[in-house]
Amino acid sequence: MTSSMMRWAGFLPLGVLWILPLLLGLWASFVAALDGAGWVSLFSHPQFWPALKLSLVTGTLSLVISAIIAFLIVAALYQSVAWQRLQGLMGGFLALPHLAFAVGFGFLIMPSGLLARMTGLVMGWADPPQWITTQDPYGMSLVAALVLKEAPFLIWLIASLLGRTDFAQMLQGHWRIGQSLGHGNASIWLTLFIPQILLRLKWPLLVVWVYGASVVDMALVIGPTQPPTLAVIIWSDLNNVDLAINDRGTAGAWFLTATLAVIAVAVHGVLTFATTLFKSFYARGPGHGHISSTTGLALLIGLAAIYGLVLLVFGIMSIGALWPYPSLVPTQFRFAAWEQAISSPQPLLNSLSFAVAASIAALAMAIVWLETMAEKRDRYLLVLAVAALALPALLIADGQYLAFLQVGLTGHWSGVFLAHLTPVFAYVFVVLKGPYRAFDPRYRSVSLGLNTSALRFLFAVKFPLMKLVLASTLAIGIGVGIAQYVSVQLVSSGRIPTLTIEAVTLASGGNRQLLAVYSLTLALVPLIAFIAAARLGRRLP
Amino acid sequence: MTLELRNVALSLNGAALIEPFSLLIEAGEIVTLMGPSGCGKSSLLSHVAGDLAPPLEGRGDIMLGGVKMEKTPPELRHIGRLFQDDLLFPHLTVGENILFGLPRGLKLERREMMRTALQRADLEGFENRAPHTLSGGQRARVSLMRALMAKPRVMLLDEPLNKLDKDLRNSMRNYVFGHLKARNIPCLLVTHDIEDAPTGGRVFWIDNRKELTLA
Repeated sequence: MTSSMMRWAGFLPLGVLWILPLLLGLWASFVAALDGAGWVSLFSHPQFWPALKLSLVTGTLSLVISAIIAFLIVAALYQSVAWQRLQGLMGGFLALPHLAFAVGFGFLIMPSGLLARMTGLVMGWADPPQWITTQDPYGMSLVAALVLKEAPFLIWLIASLLGRTDFAQMLQGHWRIGQSLGHGNASIWLTLFIPQILLRLKWPLLVVWVYGASVVDMALVIGPTQPPTLAVIIWSDLNNVDLAINDRGTAGAWFLTATLAVIAVAVHGVLTFATTLFKSFYARGPGHGHISSTTGLALLIGLAAIYGLVLLVFGIMSIGALWPYPSLVPTQFRFAAWEQAISSPQPLLNSLSFAVAASIAALAMAIVWLETMAEKRDRYLLVLAVAALALPALLIADGQYLAFLQVGLTGHWSGVFLAHLTPVFAYVFVVLKGPYRAFDPRYRSVSLGLNTSALRFLFAVKFPLMKLVLASTLAIGIGVGIAQYVSVQLVSSGRIPTLTIEAVTLASGGNRQLLAVYSLTLALVPLIAFIAAARLGRRLP
Repeated sequence: MTLELRNVALSLNGAALIEPFSLLIEAGEIVTLMGPSGCGKSSLLSHVAGDLAPPLEGRGDIMLGGVKMEKTPPELRHIGRLFQDDLLFPHLTVGENILFGLPRGLKLERREMMRTALQRADLEGFENRAPHTLSGGQRARVSLMRALMAKPRVMLLDEPLNKLDKDLRNSMRNYVFGHLKARNIPCLLVTHDIEDAPTGGRVFWIDNRKELTLA
């Protein structure tokens, strides 16, 4: 087989399983959005403008606050002993899916939740406080949940960036120069580090912002649904039995996407223009402000405590049969919810099968691409991968539902698998590309010089040397796959139950014990995958 | 202003890297420190500057003008540094790089000082240029001017000429040493190459017993 044929053979599965479903989905959605009636209906929706405002406010606030927290923690801990462990620690935070976190956070902050019980114990409250926490009309509980979920992601991204040898060395030098010129750590971060880091994190920040402004599952669980965000209205429209309402949902998905794109371009333009203003701030001379590592540690401990409480509350609620206010622990315990989940394991099995199959397929396709294609071609695939991550999931899932309907894949395992593959491959490729391309090519030359075949080199040398990277990438794929909700619900037409679908359904007033069981399972699967990857990767040959 | 190192020693994971030594560097004097790779030369400079990180550990007194510096944070020590790389900040222009280290004050006054510094570096009119558009020698001169304009009380030079070609190296050596002597700044220079040392200056060698000996 010639090298050109090998390249095409390697590209074919990726083209059929990932690129085609993604582009067909976008095309199908675009065609459906051409129907003018959907747009007229959208703009005449009584809640349209307030919902758009709510979406933009929640998305923007969550991004800004999570970025401030992330930079505060990283700046405070940079160069400290805790810094070495920070990135690994963030893996634990990231393993918890957004939906599961929203459920647990809701359990914590609701008027009869664990936080109110703990406060009530100190304050002597006999009844739950009259707080509007979950489902608050301003979306502040959604903002809080998003901030707590995105801040660790941003910390992980910044720590990864600062872990890259070339960039880390440059900043290390800048750090020393900055100090020798009289700048304290706060000033060095504000004037030297943050501007250079932000330049490199533009795309991930866009992904976080778009996610926050278009999230569906978290909003359905923790609110606000009344008044709703625009994503919730679109979601409700797409699930309506009336085809005309479906068209309004499709128009809404495109409108939200276009609005976010226009704002992103405008913000980018304004920031570029405003650079001159910032620069006079950068060059104003030394400032001695200091961010102490205690501040960073306190914030980090607070974050860890909330995640710990979320897991704790899942455990307690899953077995608490009777839990009257203000008791801190249930007064009666039953394992009925666990028994029910074990006797009907279909949601777990479906979720696992989609997540594992999509992750393995994505990893295989990414490796084949990276092995057979020249590095200069990566940018084409990267554009598609970033598009798959930066476009609202609602838009892609709606398009794939419409496209799969035409070819008879809707409601089938294969259709839902392809829908999973879209975000899973995007994440896998983005994560794997850097370390895989950085693998020292001299190992290959040495191996081939020892009469080793190219295939044997891969399995006997390259993969064993890269096992931590490969296993971690697989774990990330599983984490992304298991958390899918929007695409599963639409493409399966509600016929294939998964953990996320069951959790969202139960969150709207179902059995709380069972909701806790599903949420805990949803949290544990990626956590186990990450721990397994870390252990596998560290085992010596 | 003098720099005095009194009973200073370095260790790595508890094992001695440099045995205790004492050294006094007079105002305007340039002392050269040489030794094999990994013997702790650059770490010694970090210890003096106050940013030595574990597992390296430093002991002894570092005194600037007779004042102990151990409890002074690095940014308040006024110790200028030059490295192998010029480390100009890539997101700032040449002029902004120099302004970065100038003490806060009146904007016009600071700009005037920056322009004077560029004149002294033979880089008049370069203030709005991006660092990457400059040649290696020009960048090195900006880097030195940036350090000097912050009015350092001591300069620590960590192989600053290492990456320059031979001709440029000679001219930069004279340029740097000339400026330091003119300002009476005590200086500790770390290098691999004896040719980098100023003529007639004291040169110390870290020998295989981890002790400083006058070469």
